[in-house]
Amino acid sequence: MKYRIRHTTRYSYADTVSQCHSIAHLLPRNTFYQRCNSASIQLDPLPATGADRTDYFGNHTYHFSVQVPHKVLQVTAVSEVDILGGRQNLSLDFGASCREVRAMLADRSREENLMAREFTLDSPMVQAGPALADYARGSFAEDQSFLGCVRDLTERIFSEFTYDTRYTDVATPLADVIRHRRGVCQDFAHLAIGCLRSMGFAARYVSGYLETLPPPGQPKLEGSDASHAWFSAYSPTDGWCDFDPTNNLLASQQHITTAWGRDYSDVTPVKGTILGGGSSHGLEVEVDVHRVEGAL
Amino acid sequence: MRFQDQTSAPAPGMTGQALAAADAWNEAYRPDGTVREHWQYLLGSLQAFGAEAFTARQQMVERLLRDDGATYNDYGQRLAGRDWKLDPIPLLIDSREWAHIESGIRERAELLNLVLRDLYGQRELIRLGVIPAELVFGHRDFLRPCQGITVPGEQQLVQYAADMVRGADGAMRIISDRTQIPSGTGYALENRMVMSRVFPSLFRDSHVHRLSLYFNSLRLKLNALGPNGGVARVVMLTPGAYNETYFEHVLLANHLGYSLVQGSDLTVRDGYVWMKTLDGLSRIDVILRRVDDYFCDPVELKGDSQLGVPGLLEVIRSGRVVVANPLGSGILENGGLLKYLPAAARHFLGRDPLLEAAPTYWCGDPEDLAHTLDRLPQLVVKTTVRGASYRTTYGGELSAGQLAELGEAIRARPMHFIAQEYLPPSVAPVWEGDAGFSRPSVLRSFAVAGESSYIVMPGGLTRVGQPGAGVEISNRAGSLSKDTWVLASEPERDESPAAGVAGTEAGRIWLGMELPSRVVENLFWLGRYTERAESALRLLRTVFNRLSGANTPDPGSRLMLLRAVTQLTCTYPGFMDESANSTEPREELLSVVLDRDRPGSVAASITALLNAVDEVRDFMSADTQRILNDLRDTMEQLPDRLRHSYSVVPEEELDALVTTLLALAGLTQESMMRGQGWHFLEMGRRMERTLQILSLLRSLWVQVVPGREESVLLETALLSVDSLITYRRRYQQHMDIGNGLDLLLLEPGNPRSVMYQLNELQKHLEQLPNSGESGKLSRQARALLEAGTNLRLADMQQLAAADQGQYLRSELDQLLSRTHHLVAQAATALGDQYFDHTGGPRPLVRGDWEVQT
Repeated sequence: MKYRIRHTTRYSYADTVSQCHSIAHLLPRNTFYQRCNSASIQLDPLPATGADRTDYFGNHTYHFSVQVPHKVLQVTAVSEVDILGGRQNLSLDFGASCREVRAMLADRSREENLMAREFTLDSPMVQAGPALADYARGSFAEDQSFLGCVRDLTERIFSEFTYDTRYTDVATPLADVIRHRRGVCQDFAHLAIGCLRSMGFAARYVSGYLETLPPPGQPKLEGSDASHAWFSAYSPTDGWCDFDPTNNLLASQQHITTAWGRDYSDVTPVKGTILGGGSSHGLEVEVDVHRVEGAL
Repeated sequence: MRFQDQTSAPAPGMTGQALAAADAWNEAYRPDGTVREHWQYLLGSLQAFGAEAFTARQQMVERLLRDDGATYNDYGQRLAGRDWKLDPIPLLIDSREWAHIESGIRERAELLNLVLRDLYGQRELIRLGVIPAELVFGHRDFLRPCQGITVPGEQQLVQYAADMVRGADGAMRIISDRTQIPSGTGYALENRMVMSRVFPSLFRDSHVHRLSLYFNSLRLKLNALGPNGGVARVVMLTPGAYNETYFEHVLLANHLGYSLVQGSDLTVRDGYVWMKTLDGLSRIDVILRRVDDYFCDPVELKGDSQLGVPGLLEVIRSGRVVVANPLGSGILENGGLLKYLPAAARHFLGRDPLLEAAPTYWCGDPEDLAHTLDRLPQLVVKTTVRGASYRTTYGGELSAGQLAELGEAIRARPMHFIAQEYLPPSVAPVWEGDAGFSRPSVLRSFAVAGESSYIVMPGGLTRVGQPGAGVEISNRAGSLSKDTWVLASEPERDESPAAGVAGTEAGRIWLGMELPSRVVENLFWLGRYTERAESALRLLRTVFNRLSGANTPDPGSRLMLLRAVTQLTCTYPGFMDESANSTEPREELLSVVLDRDRPGSVAASITALLNAVDEVRDFMSADTQRILNDLRDTMEQLPDRLRHSYSVVPEEELDALVTTLLALAGLTQESMMRGQGWHFLEMGRRMERTLQILSLLRSLWVQVVPGREESVLLETALLSVDSLITYRRRYQQHMDIGNGLDLLLLEPGNPRSVMYQLNELQKHLEQLPNSGESGKLSRQARALLEAGTNLRLADMQQLAAADQGQYLRSELDQLLSRTHHLVAQAATALGDQYFDHTGGPRPLVRGDWEVQT
């Protein structure tokens, strides 16, 4: 399966911005399941400096500075990604039990497990706590298959929480999401991560895209897609496994990974600082995920 | 004098103080009461002083510190820094023992370099289980954006400091490491400068190792780090005047010859870091920073930080600027590492470290947690991060309830706590009041990266515990400090590497040319506030004098005088209010003097003046500090003196302040380099003086009053601008507004006339960069030219003439008001052209981040 993705971010400011320094996490990384064939970022106005880097988590980042005065900044990322066949069949019901996973994570002799422990800890936007643990307990039993439990958690979040784009913004605390039982994919990913960490497991945040298909017989609309997020849970026997609580799915061939980190703050699509800009500004995002070849 | 000689038993008061544990090591005395060999010369000499002479030396220490402006600030306490305290008895260390400490510190600095490189590189120590993953991954100061960032060369930490305690067994042990912005070298330097002045011969004859090698090495190292070729342009980055150790920042910047800058003075453009100056942008190669890691770059670290430079990290990554110490080095201050460093030393160096650390437990380890909770009353508990809530708690000082509370806090977040065995610190002799006492002491030792290894400062900063101050001995806890003398067996040659001198000279050529525009702006406002305070004081004392004098003015001109106070100081409504009490004006007048929260009051102007001075302290001469101290003291005592002491004559109190302000002005005139900074200071002063004279004349001379009253008002104005004597000499007793206008508006020879100010301003403007060489006048020059021309064309006698029945001299009023407007406009235009108006960087957060849906 081959996809072309176009992700446009447009900032418009009330007043002139004289300078902006930013980092973008917009270009897909290579993973076990996907290869990024080409990726580029276009800026309007043109940046004075721009550099590609690989960050701490191995993500593809782009650092740029715009020095010409501007009232609108448009960042367009275009990339082509090959999805390399299906994801592995997970033994959701027969894999290592929660107890076994916990024991293996605690074993300091395996390097991979040691390094996964980074994702068992609190991070800027996800702090484990009793409320999260309470919710998680409904899905986890010590002698059941760990991945089966994660699957159950994913399903519960999907059915017990309302998807509501008007309710949240980037800063909505997890406690509010739990209390009001609503949010968007970012919140659901954070929620699942918080639940897993509260139970002592490792989980990370995955940012990317999901191909959406128009209703049968209708053409796909330009810019109708959106960036997406889900989470990945670590099993010492199966490695990192991706779950999408917003759609109640295991990550599929239609999930394209951009970047991962401890939570959203590690992989924010565009962040930075501006000088000037006045009191208000607007943000518009357009995403197109276009299948170039391949069928499901 | 109660210092004992070497044979007598310990004198009362010298030992056994409540603070010192009974079994603590005594630095100066052996258990049998005899003086240790390396203390004999010092204690013998001090003995010879006698208590009275010694107390006098102690007072000299205090005075010198004060004159140098040595303070340690408490955050949130504006203006009043806490005086730096130095005990006149140094701590002595003999050179044999020092050699051991020195190699231990050097080795530890090198080890920490390897650990730092690894944690932001391969993380082998974590992969191999030498350091627990959570200890690093769960620590606030492990900054993932700093992955892969290194300083060119072997040594990553350019400066390093360690706090050490000598336990009961006499061995020095590390209790904590300082790696991101090790502070204290400046205070150590200040202590040394004061001590060598107070005890010159004692200092010389004790053969004390000098500190200069440390600072020369630092200068050499920083200059060598320049990544862009040529003479490295080094600046020192400070969080600003409210930082606790701001005094030290100023001292070090001056000592090392670097500009002291704040984050807003720097900007990232075209992939380099630049300093904003009057001439434009000036490239910076190396930044010696005193801003915490996390605050240094709002783009990648703390998004809302105003102390950093947006985009800095990316410039560091591309190798176009070097920041020392490297960003991310705060992770090494993680107290939990103390436990694992010996293992790291075995891993990297194949041996245990020379210097031991206090036995440390990390509560993230289940065994250590259990052990800690079991033995809380015997342990010192700290958090793994330093910061506002960071406290050192000694379990032995807690009640049962407090212990339970501490246990709960540890159990809730075990990874965030460490516990250390309590090492009762060794005691050292301290002079308090008029006698010697023994007090527990902690030594901070400093190392700087040299060519192949570290150079350890011989000595360091000793802090001693105060009675009742608890177990924490630190600057923050208000501890007394000591100079630390490492005694050489023979006199030392003064080794100042010649290359260091050459480096500085090259640096100086660059620095003399440019100032950050923030500094220039503050100098400009310093000039304005000084003048504003002075002219308010001059008018106020004249008014106080008139009101209490024998010839009290009639009610009409009395009200005009009072209103002049309101108008000149802009403290509306004041006496402009119909209901204002002009028969009992004292309270309102005092408020105009004393009310700091009232813009325009004398106190507000002086506060603003002192704030401006704080921002530019590195440009003030050493003598200035004494005047500023006077100013602070007078302002502190003034409310009491004016309000509560009836014998006091207000105008006399104000006289003292005027004199101090004049001294300040005179000193800058006499000792400041005639550079851009001086021009702006002078322009601020001249512009403000012009505005003040114009306001004064508008309030006192525009209104037409009967002849006798008119001379009172004429005299008052002349007196308050210090021109009455000149007037009398020139016009004898003939009091006439026209003559007054001549003298105060037009006379180019009168340093207090408007014309004089305008002429001076024009000369200053011509000296500024980009002042319009192409023949085109700048906005400020045009406004001033118009003001001067209007005055020259005016006929003063005609303006002064008052027709019968006329209430106002309206032409005069128009001229004064137009001139006022033009000068104010010039001030604004000047600011628009030269000062930095970009405002702070703002993060693109919250609503500005894309929500992933």
